[in-house]
Amino acid sequence: MTMAARIKFDEVAVGDQIPPLSKVVKREDVKAYADASGDQNPLHQDDAFARSVGFPGIIAHGMFSMAHVAKAVTDWLGDPGALKSIEVQFRAVVYMDETLVARAEVAAKDEVTRRVRLRVWAEVERAGERVQPIKNSEAEVELA
Amino acid sequence: MPLNQSMKGKEYPAVTVPVEREDVLRFADAIAEDDPLFRDSEAARGAGYPEQLAPPTFVTRMQILTSAQVVLDQELGLNYAMVVHGEQEYAWRRPVVVGDVLSTVPRIADIYAKKSNEYLVIEAEIKDARGETVVVGRTTLISRGTGVG
Repeated sequence: MTMAARIKFDEVAVGDQIPPLSKVVKREDVKAYADASGDQNPLHQDDAFARSVGFPGIIAHGMFSMAHVAKAVTDWLGDPGALKSIEVQFRAVVYMDETLVARAEVAAKDEVTRRVRLRVWAEVERAGERVQPIKNSEAEVELA
Repeated sequence: MPLNQSMKGKEYPAVTVPVEREDVLRFADAIAEDDPLFRDSEAARGAGYPEQLAPPTFVTRMQILTSAQVVLDQELGLNYAMVVHGEQEYAWRRPVVVGDVLSTVPRIADIYAKKSNEYLVIEAEIKDARGETVVVGRTTLISRGTGVG
């Protein structure tokens, strides 16, 4: 059950980057994600609670960032069914009004299975530094 | 206090979730997903799928339910205030579509310590109504500072 990915196996090379996908993370987005996913942890909705556990304010769900990374990959593929697996590590938090950028780069190609491994990550700029909320992560896609 | 190691391998009651159109649309809205394959049955059929697709990470809805069962298990001895989500993995056999009835029996795949943290790995093989595997999820929760190291 899959249509063909728009991206062709023979047209990608190790080191190619997919188009980055940016979004400004707003409080209402995180609330919508809480309702859509069912994760109502107050850390993502209640500033007073977030401060009580050591954060300056609420943070986005890790899965919110993972969904954004997966969307960057499926936007590039043109076929969601071509995304075979994704494995992420959550390494930093994301605060409200930060710009979350999802990125991916071709890491390896398997000529037999026509599957491609992508290195994927997400980054935000914070106080002049680049922080990676999703790091050392990868996805496997099957190309036409 | 360290986690109860003897819980390794424990299975929890099955979680069953029907994939409703309205929930898929709400999830697509929440992640700003505007691809018609996730919003419109006709578009999905035109692309060769049987029905409107759910975004790949839609299954997070099930993972929240399965993780809650484990986290709330008194026998495990987890202090939720110390827990952070460390890693997440999904491997799909096919995309989830509207109308699927998904079911999983979550289990504790591993419990291990690294330095002062403990790691709890929850595995959920999510199957459709015919019993065929659709996606396998692996969630690693970190229990901060509860290890002995």
